[in-house]
Amino acid sequence: MAVGRPLLRTSYDEDASIFPSTFQKSMVGFALFWMLLACLGVSPFDAPFTALLGATWLNPMTKTLAFAIVALGLNILVGMTGQVSLGHAFFMGTGAYAAVVLGGDGDTAKACVPFHEQLGILDRTQDCGLGLPIWIWLPMAGVVASLIGILVAPAAVKVRGLYLAIVTVGLVFIGLHLGRMLPEYAGDFESGRRWPKLEFRFWKEETPLVDFTSNGKWFGFLEVTEEQKQFLLIFVILLFFIVLAKNLARSRTGRALQAIRDRDVAAEVMGVPEFQYKRTAFAISSFYAGIGGALFASYTGRVSPIDFGLLLSVDFIAILLIGGAGTIAGTLMGTAFVELLPDLVERFTGWLSGKTVSNGPIGWFANILLTDGTAGNFGPISTSATAPGWPMSTFQWNFVIFGLLIVIFLIFEPLGLYGIWLKFKSYWKGWPFSY
Amino acid sequence: MIAVSLLGSPILASAGATFIQTLTKSIALGCVYALVALGFVLVFKASQVLNFATGGIAMAGAIFMSILIADRGFPFLPFTNPLAPAVGETASVPLWMLHVAIAMMFAALLAVVLERVAIRPLVGQPLFALAVVTLGLEVAITPFNRDATAVSSRSLGVPWKTNSWEVAGAIIPKSYLAAAVAAAIGFAAILLFYRSRLGVAMRAVAFDQEAAMAQGINVGRVFSISWALGASVAALGAIMFGMAPFPPGGAVSQEVHTILAFRVLPVIILGGLDSVMGALYGGLIIASFEVFAGEYLSGYSNILGPGYSTIVPYVVMLIVLLVKPYGLFGTAEIRRV
Amino acid sequence: MKLKRLLALLMAFGLSAAACGGSGSDEAASDGGSEETDAGGDETTTSAAPTEEAPEAAAEILTDFGVTDTTIRVGLNADLSGPFAALVSEIVDAQTAYWEFVNDNGGIAGRMVEPVIIDSGYDTAKGIENYEIMAQESDEGVIMISENTGSPITAAIAEDAADDNMLLIPLSWASLWPDPDIGAAVIEKQITYCAESMNGVAWLKEKVESEGGEAKLAIISRPGEYGEDGAAGAEIAAEELGIEVVYDGVGAVAGDDRTAVISELVGSGATIVWTVVTPGELADIFGGAVSQGFEAVWSGNGPSFSYPVLLATDLAPDFDKYYWQSGYAAPWKGNDSEGMNELVTEMTARRGEKNLSDQYITGWMEGMIVKTILEQAAANGDMTRAGVVAASQEVTVDFKGLSPNQSWGGDYNDIIVRESYIYDVDATAFDLQPINAGTGGTGLIVEEGPYTSDLLSTYQFDGPCI
Repeated sequence: MAVGRPLLRTSYDEDASIFPSTFQKSMVGFALFWMLLACLGVSPFDAPFTALLGATWLNPMTKTLAFAIVALGLNILVGMTGQVSLGHAFFMGTGAYAAVVLGGDGDTAKACVPFHEQLGILDRTQDCGLGLPIWIWLPMAGVVASLIGILVAPAAVKVRGLYLAIVTVGLVFIGLHLGRMLPEYAGDFESGRRWPKLEFRFWKEETPLVDFTSNGKWFGFLEVTEEQKQFLLIFVILLFFIVLAKNLARSRTGRALQAIRDRDVAAEVMGVPEFQYKRTAFAISSFYAGIGGALFASYTGRVSPIDFGLLLSVDFIAILLIGGAGTIAGTLMGTAFVELLPDLVERFTGWLSGKTVSNGPIGWFANILLTDGTAGNFGPISTSATAPGWPMSTFQWNFVIFGLLIVIFLIFEPLGLYGIWLKFKSYWKGWPFSY
Repeated sequence: MIAVSLLGSPILASAGATFIQTLTKSIALGCVYALVALGFVLVFKASQVLNFATGGIAMAGAIFMSILIADRGFPFLPFTNPLAPAVGETASVPLWMLHVAIAMMFAALLAVVLERVAIRPLVGQPLFALAVVTLGLEVAITPFNRDATAVSSRSLGVPWKTNSWEVAGAIIPKSYLAAAVAAAIGFAAILLFYRSRLGVAMRAVAFDQEAAMAQGINVGRVFSISWALGASVAALGAIMFGMAPFPPGGAVSQEVHTILAFRVLPVIILGGLDSVMGALYGGLIIASFEVFAGEYLSGYSNILGPGYSTIVPYVVMLIVLLVKPYGLFGTAEIRRV
Repeated sequence: MKLKRLLALLMAFGLSAAACGGSGSDEAASDGGSEETDAGGDETTTSAAPTEEAPEAAAEILTDFGVTDTTIRVGLNADLSGPFAALVSEIVDAQTAYWEFVNDNGGIAGRMVEPVIIDSGYDTAKGIENYEIMAQESDEGVIMISENTGSPITAAIAEDAADDNMLLIPLSWASLWPDPDIGAAVIEKQITYCAESMNGVAWLKEKVESEGGEAKLAIISRPGEYGEDGAAGAEIAAEELGIEVVYDGVGAVAGDDRTAVISELVGSGATIVWTVVTPGELADIFGGAVSQGFEAVWSGNGPSFSYPVLLATDLAPDFDKYYWQSGYAAPWKGNDSEGMNELVTEMTARRGEKNLSDQYITGWMEGMIVKTILEQAAANGDMTRAGVVAASQEVTVDFKGLSPNQSWGGDYNDIIVRESYIYDVDATAFDLQPINAGTGGTGLIVEEGPYTSDLLSTYQFDGPCI
C-alpha cells in the first residue's frame, strides 16, 4: 500500500480486502478489545455503557446483538439485492420455532409443553421437542428458515417493488395464523413456551459441556456471570456472521446480487441469472434471520408467536434506513441505535426530571420539556408516566420520536448513520483544508 | 321494508336470510375497504407514494369528528361546537353528514401539512424510501391517536345507532346502507373530479411527472390535492367503519381503527396500486371472500384454525399476484434496461 | 389481564422494545426520606400517625436489597405504552397514590415506600430486562414486585423470581398463580378466571331458569391462557350443573374477522353466553350477534367487559339489556365500606382531576396487599427478599370491604378465593366525571356480591384448571 495515499490501491487483493487500511484494522481490533473488557466489567471500559444504559446494560445489548444478525441478513436482501421484505419477522420466527422443536427437551418433555405444565403443575406430557444439542438446533434454525426463504423466492421474481413488500406482509400474518393453529409447537399463543437454553452439549448428556446460563468460572480463573457468558457467545456468533457478510459482498455472488439491485434486466442480459440469484439472496437472508431468531428466542427464554408480528419487521426496516442501507457498519450502527434508543430516551428524561428544581439552563430546559402538574413546569412530557391523556408519558413519546427519526433521517441524511460517519470521516481526512 | 329495533323478537334465520345477511355484510364491509383503499390509490396515482400513514390520518379524522359531535368541542381549544346537537340528543342525519364532511376536511388538512413537510423534500427519491417515510409518519401519529382513544371509546354519534330493516327474514342494519351510499358518493365524486380541469392535470402528472411540469402544471399543487382527497375518503371510510354493527359499535376504537389500514393492504394490491375502480372491485372481492368464508366455512374451524377468515384476504392476494403481478387492474411496469 | 396483544402487534406503531431505566417516582424518596432516620413520621403533615414499628426497631430489622433505613423500593413492571397502557396506567396511578397516602401516615416501619415504575410495553424481552434491573442485588434493586403486567411476562420471570426470592404479584388472574408448586414467590390476588367463570355460569343458569327458560350455554374465548382458563371454568360448571353446551368456541376468537364465531353463535340457539375475550372483541361479537336478532343472557370474565370502552358506544342499550358483568371487587362507590370510603376520600384529595375509574380499586388493593406483607415482614424483623416471601404466607390481607379478604398459606384449595361480584350494567348510570366532581358513575351496579355459587363453595380443585 502506498504510504500517505490511503485510497490508492495497487493490487486487486488490496481492493478486495476486508479492511483496506491498517488504521481500520487497528480500529476494529481496538473496538473488539474494548467490548470484551467492557463486557467483563473492567473499569473504565464499561463506563460509557453503564452511564448510558445502567448497570444491567448487558441485557439490552445482548438482545441487540441477536437482532444485529437478523438485520445483517435483511441487509443482504434489501441493501445488496434491492428486494424489500417486510416479512423478516416471519423468517425469524421460523428459525426460532425450528430451534425449539429440535432443541426442546424431549426426554422430560419439559421444554415443549404448554407453560403451566413446564412449571411442573400437571403431569400431562406432550412431546414436541427432540432435545438435540445446540450445535444441531442452531444451524438447523438457519437452514429451515433458509428453505422457507427459497420457497418464497419465486414470488419475488414475479412480484416487484412495493408489491413485493406487501406480499411479504402477508407472510407475517400467515405465520401468526400458523402459531395459533399449532399450539403443540408454538406453545400458548400469548405466553409461548420455554426455549432450549444456551448450553453446549455433545449429545443429550445431563451436564452440559459449556453452560451459558449460570454464573461460573472460565479457564479456572475468570469469574463470569450468566449475562456475560451469553453476551460473549452471541457476540462471537455475530462476528462470524459479519465476516461472512463482508466476504459475501466481495464474492462473485455478492457482485451478482448488486447487479440485480442496480438493474435486474440489465443484469440478466449480462448473464446473471435473476431467479437463481434472487433465490440465493432469500436463502442467505433467511438463514441469518433464522439464526438471529433462534438466538433471540433462547436468550429471552420464552417467546410467543405474536412476538414475531409485523411490528418486528418494521423495526428491521427502520434499522436499515437509519443505519444506512447497504453497508454492514451502517446496519450495526442502526441496530444499536434503534434497539437502544428507547432506553436512552427514558433514562434521559429520568435524569432530566431530577433537574426540574435546579436552576440554570438545565433546570430551565427541564421545566420547558417536562411536567408533573406542579407550577413552573408545563412541557409536553409527563413525568408521572401513569396517566393517559395529554401530556403524554415518556413511553408514548418514545414511539413518536422513533417515527419522526425515520422521517428526519430520510429527509436530511438518506445514507443514515453511515452517511453521518462518512461526512465526519471526510471532514477530518481533509482537515484543516475543507476540500 | 319494516323498520324494527334490533331488540325485536329472536329470528331464526333461514338459509336464504343468512345468505342475504352475509351478502349485505360483505358489500358493506367491501365499501369500507374500498374507501380506505381509494385513499391509498389516489395518493399513489399522483405522487407514486404508498402512503402507510393513511390509516393514522383517517383515524385522526374520525377522532376529530368524535370530538366535534360527542364532546361538542374542539381539540385543545376551549370553544364549544355551535353546530353540535344538544346534550343527550343525537344529531339529525343532515347535521351528522355535515360533521362527517368537516372531519374529512380536517383529515385533508392534516394530510396536506404532512405531505408538504415530510414528503415534498423527498421527491425524486426511490419509491421505497418514500413509503418508509410514510411508515415513520404512521408510527409518529399513532401514539396521539391511541392517546385520544385511551381508556374510553369515542362515540361517533351515529343518528341511526343500531337500527335495522328486516327484509325477507334477513336483518339488514341501516349502517350497511350508509356505508354503500358513502362509497357510491366517494367513488362518483372522484371519477367526476378526474374529468375536471384539475383532475385532468392530476392524471397527466400520474402519467408523466416531467412532461406535465413542462406543460405548466403545478405538480406540487397536484400532490397536495391528491393527498387531501386521499385522506378525506380514507377518513370517510374510517368513520363508516365505526358504525354498529361493525366492530367498534358506533365509536372510534383503538383496537379496530389502528389496524384498519393494514387490513386494507390486500385490497390495494389486488385492485392494483394505481387503479381507482380497482380499489372498489378489490374491496368488494376481498370483503366477500372474508365474510363468506367466515360464514360458510365456520364448521371447519377445527381444520382451518381459529380466526382463519382473517388470513383469507392474504391468501387470495398471494394467489392473484402470482398470476397477475400488478393486481387485477394495476398498470404493469414496463421494464427497460 | 390479557387483552388486545395481537391487535397491538399488528399496528406498525413502534419498537418491539419500549423503554427502560429508572424513571420511578423519585419524589417519594426525596420528599420525606432524609429526615426519617430518627423521626419516624414527624415531618409529615396529614394525620401523622406513625405505625407501631418504632424508629429504633427499624435499625434491628434485617434487610438485604431494596430496603434502606429510610426507604423501601417496590417495583412495578407495568405496561405503560403497550396494549393495556390505558388500564394499567390507572392501576399504577392508584397504587402510587396509595403510597403517597401511606408515606404521609408514616410509611412502613418508619420507611418511605418508593415505587419503581418501569414500562414493559407488554414485550416479554423488555419485561425480562426490567426484571433484571429490579432484581439487582444492590440498593438499585427492589424488595418485591407489586405489579407485573400480564401472564407472558410473569411466566417468563416466575422461575427467576423463585430463585431470587422475589415476591411477585402478577396483574393476571390465571388459575396457575395460586398453585404452591409455582413457588411461594408468585401470589395471585382475588378470584381466578377459572373460579370466576364457575360462579358466573352458575349465576347465569339460575337467572335463566328463574325466568322460566332453559340454560343452553355458549362459551366464547380467545386463544391463550386467559381464554383457556376462563373457558375451562365455564366447562367445569356446565358439566357439574348439567348444562348443555351448544356452542364450544374455546379459542375461536382470533384474528380480526369474527364472522365465523357470530355465525356459529347465532345458529346455536344458546340462551346463556359466557365470554372470555377483550372488550373490542366483545363489541364485535355481541354487536354482530344482537344485530342478527340473537337474544340471550350474556356475561363473561372481568376483562371481557370495559364500561368506558363499551358503554360509550351505540351498543350501550343492548349491553344494558343483555349483559351482566362479573368482577373481582366492589365498583367505584359500589358499597359503603371503610375501604371504599378511604379510597374515595384519598383519591379525591390526591387525584381529584382524574376521571373516576374502577381500575383505581385494583391499584389500591395491590398497595394494601404489599403494605400488609411488608408490615408483617417488619414485625418479623426480616425485611429481606426471602423474609418478605415468608411473610406473605403468614398474612391475611384485610381489604376493608373492597373485596373479600385473602391469604396465601396452605394448599391450592385454601388459597383460592371463591367470591366474585356480579354487576348489572346500567347504561344510564354511565357518566365519567372527574373524581372531585363527586358525581358520575361507571354504569356498573352490584347485582350480587360478594357472591359464591353453591357449586364453587364446595368444589375441590385438583390444581389449576388448564
